[in-house]
Amino acid sequence: MALIELDEVSKVYGFGDATTLALDEVALSVGKGEFVAVMGPSGSGKSTLMNVIGLLDKPTHGNYKLGGQPAAQLKPNEQAKLRRDKIGFVFQFYNLLPNLSVLENVSLPLAYKGMTPVRRAKRASDILELVGMRDREYFFPTQLSGGQAQRAAIARALVNKPSILIADEPTGNLDSHDSKVVMEVLAEIHRQGNTILMVTHNPELTRFANRVIYMYDGMIVGDERTAIGQMARGARRTYFNRRRRTDEEIAAGVSALLKDVPGKEVTAKAKRRKSTGRKRGLRAKATRSRR
Amino acid sequence: MFTGDLKAARQSLRASRWRTNFTMLGIIIGITSVVTVVSLGEGLKHQIVGQINQLGNDVLTVRPGKLLSKDGKAGNLNIYAFLAPSTLTMRDLESIQHSEVISKATPIEFITNSASGDNGEFDNLFVAGTTPDFADTLHQKIAYGAFFSEDEDNSGTAIIGSDVAGRMFGVLNPVGETIHIMGRDFTVHGVLAPTQGGLLSLAQADYNSSVFISTDDANKLTAGHTNILQILARIKPGVNINHADLTLNSIIARNHGGTHDFTVLKPDQLLGVTSQVLDTITRFVSAIAAISLIVGGIGIMNIMLVSVSERTREIGIRKAVGATNRQILRQFLTEGLVLTISGGIVGVIVSLILNLLLRLYSGWKPVVSIWVILLAVGVSVAAGLIFSLIPALKAARKDPITALRGE
Repeated sequence: MALIELDEVSKVYGFGDATTLALDEVALSVGKGEFVAVMGPSGSGKSTLMNVIGLLDKPTHGNYKLGGQPAAQLKPNEQAKLRRDKIGFVFQFYNLLPNLSVLENVSLPLAYKGMTPVRRAKRASDILELVGMRDREYFFPTQLSGGQAQRAAIARALVNKPSILIADEPTGNLDSHDSKVVMEVLAEIHRQGNTILMVTHNPELTRFANRVIYMYDGMIVGDERTAIGQMARGARRTYFNRRRRTDEEIAAGVSALLKDVPGKEVTAKAKRRKSTGRKRGLRAKATRSRR
Repeated sequence: MFTGDLKAARQSLRASRWRTNFTMLGIIIGITSVVTVVSLGEGLKHQIVGQINQLGNDVLTVRPGKLLSKDGKAGNLNIYAFLAPSTLTMRDLESIQHSEVISKATPIEFITNSASGDNGEFDNLFVAGTTPDFADTLHQKIAYGAFFSEDEDNSGTAIIGSDVAGRMFGVLNPVGETIHIMGRDFTVHGVLAPTQGGLLSLAQADYNSSVFISTDDANKLTAGHTNILQILARIKPGVNINHADLTLNSIIARNHGGTHDFTVLKPDQLLGVTSQVLDTITRFVSAIAAISLIVGGIGIMNIMLVSVSERTREIGIRKAVGATNRQILRQFLTEGLVLTISGGIVGVIVSLILNLLLRLYSGWKPVVSIWVILLAVGVSVAAGLIFSLIPALKAARKDPITALRGE
């Protein structure tokens, strides 16, 4: 039995002329222990798919079964409990609470479960050890580098031993070194038998996955199984052909393409050129201004 | 989980310290004003109760005008009775003195409120004429000198209260000094021992700030138009107070041709009349003070609403990691409660300090009872719950995904 089962799931935003079809009758089945990479241009519905699977968003149509149980139409409180017990989220911008220490951030899901402070601190500490963040327990999120913050976020996602780890562009805000560290943590978690869904724009990262899904205009347009350590063929194609545009793509709209993979690549290059010494300070500043 | 909520509340309140303090200020002011007003009222009541107790359980007070309605309850106070000229006469006094139920009786004739001495003129005095029986009727002790005497000529002499001695002459014992009342000179003959004085007492004067002269002198000063404010009558030992009450009523009514244009008050009724007036005033002023509390509460609601929309993202994150609506609601309610309860506690402390200062530097003697403090804390808990309910509900009902996007 599959862990995640989506049956003709659609998600419509807005109404009237402004209607957007974010998910268009998506059918997907993910088994336990799979590491699924989700690729596709911006606006193709990747994040919406993740939010629906993660029970943050409700599909407009279709059925969604999580662990064999219908989950999409549950009451908000039941969904909250499922999020707490079965799902771990890792976001692009870490989403750690700035007022809480790393340890408190990581133990937050346990607090909502009603675990005693001592037990939850111990459990959070163990998980931080796993992601190599034990020595940063009492730091605050603003005192961490991007990679450290993201590892703390992964620890928070894992602390309740969820069935699925959903990572929405976990390396999207990290430099190549931090990306590598974070991906190694995810790979290790996968090796331990966890199910991971990861949205990414970086074809290189498909090396960590054993299945790659391609999305376009709210539909799944490709589903490829790959060996771990190998870049997915479809991803390789977008990687090498990224500067060529077909007539179809141009017709699909300029705006979608502007935010596409090439743009991402440019910022990554720009980052690499900056000296490593200044990088940390700049990033900290950027993080602050976002808040 | 509750301690967790408290901790979270403390953390987020500390994160915006200035805002927290200023929001709390509203509640602090509200609680301070309510507690202070109530304890001032309470203090006045204590003073008057003390005064009336000092008067004794066996002293009847006869006042001009019909103060109480027919059923005789203190609840139906007739305020116009205070405004009419006195209906009591010296003849009434004599009749009372000759009654078989009364041992001693003395009149209090109000003359003026100003007199001058060494330190200039004072206009917050109670200058009254009375008879030598005053001291015996009230068991009033004399600190220095002596009270009027039946055997001597009391004209040209005055007996003053302890406060008057201090203020007017700056000494404890000003016997022999001169005091000017309505253009005439009086020699201070005695100083009353300090009594539990009252600032605002409709039934009794504050003897500490009184100046007494003889009834003859009072007659001269007012050209015979003295106004008998009240007649105090001590019941003979062993006589039932209700019986004495009825007897006095019939004696005076006979003098007045059967008209009951006067009131005989037993000590408990005296208490009733004054405390009723006082309660009304306290309630009225408390209501005004309560408005400031409501304003403070609305301030809290506004700040909480701002805080909820500012922390939309935080709410989203908390929901994403599994917080239920109820848990979010509880978090924000706890924050509101922490805010108002700490405001309430600080308010109580501030009002205690204020009361201490009032006691030290003014004539007011506020009394803070445990009930006032419990009331203040209860009100701040209620305010916290009521005014943070709407913001907390707003936070709890946020859609997780829109909240995460920070919208």
